[in-house]
Amino acid sequence: METLSKPTYMKRNRDGSILIKARSKQQLVMRATIGSLIILSLIGFLLFDYTGLDLASAITETAYNLKVMFVEPALNHFSLGEAFYQVGITLGLAVLSTVIGAVIALFLSLMAATNLSNAWVSKTVRIVVAFIRAVPTVLWVLIFAIAAGLGSEAAVLGMLFHSIAYLVKAFSEAFEEIDKGIIEALQSTGSNWWHIVTHGVLPSTFTYLLSWTFLRFEINFSVAVAMGAAAGAGGIGFELFMASGFYFDLSEVGFITYAILLIAIILEVLSTQLKNRYFPASVRSES
Amino acid sequence: MALLQVIELGKSYNTETRVLKGVNFDVKAGEFVSIIGPSGAGKSTLLRCINRMVSISEGSILFDNQEVSRLKKKDLRKLRTDIGMVFQHYNLVPRLTVIENVLHGRFGYKSTLQGVLGRFNEDEKARAFYLLHKLGIEEHAYKRCDQLSGGQQQRVGIARALIQDPKLVLCDEPIASLDPNSSKIIMDHLKSITSELGITCLVNLHQVEVAHQYSDRIIGLNEGEVVFDGPNHQLTDDKINRIYGTQTRELITV
Repeated sequence: METLSKPTYMKRNRDGSILIKARSKQQLVMRATIGSLIILSLIGFLLFDYTGLDLASAITETAYNLKVMFVEPALNHFSLGEAFYQVGITLGLAVLSTVIGAVIALFLSLMAATNLSNAWVSKTVRIVVAFIRAVPTVLWVLIFAIAAGLGSEAAVLGMLFHSIAYLVKAFSEAFEEIDKGIIEALQSTGSNWWHIVTHGVLPSTFTYLLSWTFLRFEINFSVAVAMGAAAGAGGIGFELFMASGFYFDLSEVGFITYAILLIAIILEVLSTQLKNRYFPASVRSES
Repeated sequence: MALLQVIELGKSYNTETRVLKGVNFDVKAGEFVSIIGPSGAGKSTLLRCINRMVSISEGSILFDNQEVSRLKKKDLRKLRTDIGMVFQHYNLVPRLTVIENVLHGRFGYKSTLQGVLGRFNEDEKARAFYLLHKLGIEEHAYKRCDQLSGGQQQRVGIARALIQDPKLVLCDEPIASLDPNSSKIIMDHLKSITSELGITCLVNLHQVEVAHQYSDRIIGLNEGEVVFDGPNHQLTDDKINRIYGTQTRELITV
């Protein structure tokens, strides 16, 4: 009898089973959005122009092209040594824009972090950086090409610009995550701002800064490939563009793709190795 | 002559609530004073007003005959150099070694460049090791702080406060996250700071028994007001009830 007198907080579905999710407005909006997107995609497929499409030959020819690309990679227009040289150029573009970008971003992010800077400065930096980030890298490269001319200078400048904006956000968020007690303790000893940054904030966040920089380096490498083609910055991207767009040499496209893939894997392995070996997040305890 | 004079101190973080209201007390050099009171009574705020980690809304604090509330940047750094602070959560930089953390206490005496480059002279380093030796954690000097236990980390915190050569050490609930055994070690060390080095100690505490045992004087704080101020033998059960607003025997006191 006692149970009846208590107010009930339990909710049930229409079929009588007990409900465990709170039905919120948010959930409803989410479902409606996904539902309408599915319906629109289905309608889209029905409205395509299918004239001249022979599905059977399209599939076999695509498969043949992919086979030539990835099973028979070869170099026809330049030597292996030259290929490595071109990969080197692309890597160089990525390194330059990442390293310079990381250094500039480090200082800007100290200004952008709300716990290390005053509200006014941090807001200004954040807004500027958000604006830079909103414009795609390719566009920045093309904007700089007006001043520097199409080529590697414009590519590095544009990539640098976007790298700075990206890293400022990542770095400043890492700084804001830091335990505010550390800053308080250093302040209470009479340390000034530079002491706190160099001996409290940077040692605590160094691994994060490093991993963000590496992530940005990987992004910059793939962007540098694209820039080689789009902005004439040279490197393996330009060769890829020539092989596919001018020579229609699918085996060369395949070879270049493999080369880029190899470099990407090497970079990934290198970054994790470096991080684990020299900058462990926590020392393994004896126990 | 009083080392620290708190006169009609008031603090409010916003317009509605006043955390501290008309707080008055003096602390003489070489005293060991505990501040007790329930959570939210304003103990931490009071301590942080003294070294201006939070700004002072009304009233004044005189430290060593200096008006704390009016100090500008450079003098404020000088003031903080004279006041060491020990925290509940130790607030060490976990990825740096013990000795590096101890030497952080010397930044108040350094120029920007000296500090950034981490230039410490041999005297300072030797003193850091001496303090670690006194606190019994010399063998951990080159370990990273996140490898130490809570009690050991708190001792590093004390060493960091002592290497400042402070006149006053503020302790914000130094034993609130420690087990009874480590708590005793920490309290003994704090007591010896006063008795051996003659440094004044102002300690926020939750444990009435501990305050009773270690202090020369106890200040009771309730809802931002001083409701008790006197030598520890005057703190009777009746007075404790007034500070906490309950029957203390109902509380768990360890």
